[in-house]
Amino acid sequence: MSRRVEQKTAARVVREQIAKEDRRRRVMWTAIGVTLAVLVAGAIGYGVWQAQQPTQFNVPATATEKQDGMVIPGTTGKAKVEIYLDYQCPACKQVEDAITPTVDQWIKENKITLVYHPVAILDQFSAPNQYSTRTSSAAGCAADGGKLYEFSKQLFARQPAENTGGLPDDDIIAAGGDAGLIDPAFARCVRDGTYKGWAKKLTDDFTKRGLKGTPTLFVNDVEVVADKGKGDTSVVDALKRMVTDVK
Amino acid sequence: MGVGIDMSEPRTAAPGRRRHVTKVISTLARLGLAGVWLVAGGSKVADLGSSVRAVNAYELLPNGAAQIVGSALPFVEIMVGLLLLAGLFTRAAAILSAGLLVMFIFGIATAWARGLQIDCGCFGGGGALAAGESPTYFWETLRDIGFLAGAGFLILRPHTWLSLDGVLLGGPSGPETSKGQ
Repeated sequence: MSRRVEQKTAARVVREQIAKEDRRRRVMWTAIGVTLAVLVAGAIGYGVWQAQQPTQFNVPATATEKQDGMVIPGTTGKAKVEIYLDYQCPACKQVEDAITPTVDQWIKENKITLVYHPVAILDQFSAPNQYSTRTSSAAGCAADGGKLYEFSKQLFARQPAENTGGLPDDDIIAAGGDAGLIDPAFARCVRDGTYKGWAKKLTDDFTKRGLKGTPTLFVNDVEVVADKGKGDTSVVDALKRMVTDVK
Repeated sequence: MGVGIDMSEPRTAAPGRRRHVTKVISTLARLGLAGVWLVAGGSKVADLGSSVRAVNAYELLPNGAAQIVGSALPFVEIMVGLLLLAGLFTRAAAILSAGLLVMFIFGIATAWARGLQIDCGCFGGGGALAAGESPTYFWETLRDIGFLAGAGFLILRPHTWLSLDGVLLGGPSGPETSKGQ
């Protein structure tokens, strides 16, 4: 082989090696760059979620110890029944209607401690009027007036259909009036949205408990789920069974 | 990134006409996917709590992990969408897209198999379905498989029109795509 050809071959090998090295480096930096971009984007998301948690909010007097719900005054029974609800949620109204006679009876017999968590997860169905948030906040006002249980029944009785913009504050105040909340302080509290921060806190606590929708019920911290094996045909059956089982 | 098959482009094998058509399809796939991610991320980003609840609904992750995934996902989707829109790191962004889509298809398929009654939460919303609503897992899965096909095409043929890769690097990033072959 001539010297000239040898030189050419050597130069080609070197060029190929450099090109290969270039490619390798480019792939590496792309991988590092894109991985970093994903991590940064994700970290921003988690940071924003953490930063959005409300820190300053008014808390009604009947709030639970963890400030994630309200105890219905006068209920001190052994079975702690928790109800997560959104006043815009049709399934919540159905369950509420179905359990009310039984719950009334349990309250009379002091069999249960009733805890309400009126969360606001369905604001998109009353956009832009935030019916869920406003009623959640109003529930705090009703709790201050000692009539949360009655107020909830009134709100469910007037529940607006989804995607109809919810009800105005005046109607929420009227629902309170029918529940016996005639103190002007209640109307002021509703209009001022005194417990809107609390509504957000309730909702975030609901989310952080790993829950996904309403209604969700608990009996002594066990989620109420219909168990066909035990003869339940609905959540209502399951609730009755679980409360009856508490001795 | 971790793809073992040789994905070098048959630059010389394809006739010019065909290469042109391929590039047009790649461009459409890139912009289409960019739109999907931007809409998907954008619809979730304003309500991160809702996004976390949508993840909770799959009952696959413990609480803390669902919070991380649910709050990070909208931002990651927007980031991938922006990369694709700009045509920057096109192949890597397409690989990421495929990874996310495989994850989503897996999630929906397991929800389907377990008989969960949930909304996929793919474009906002999500969580448990109200009584009387039925899940639409079939269409959700089919749609994601369609998107996955687009991402797959883009992984194999990342050269597109109007891309930053083209402007900055003279070609899309990724293995075996530099000019020197």
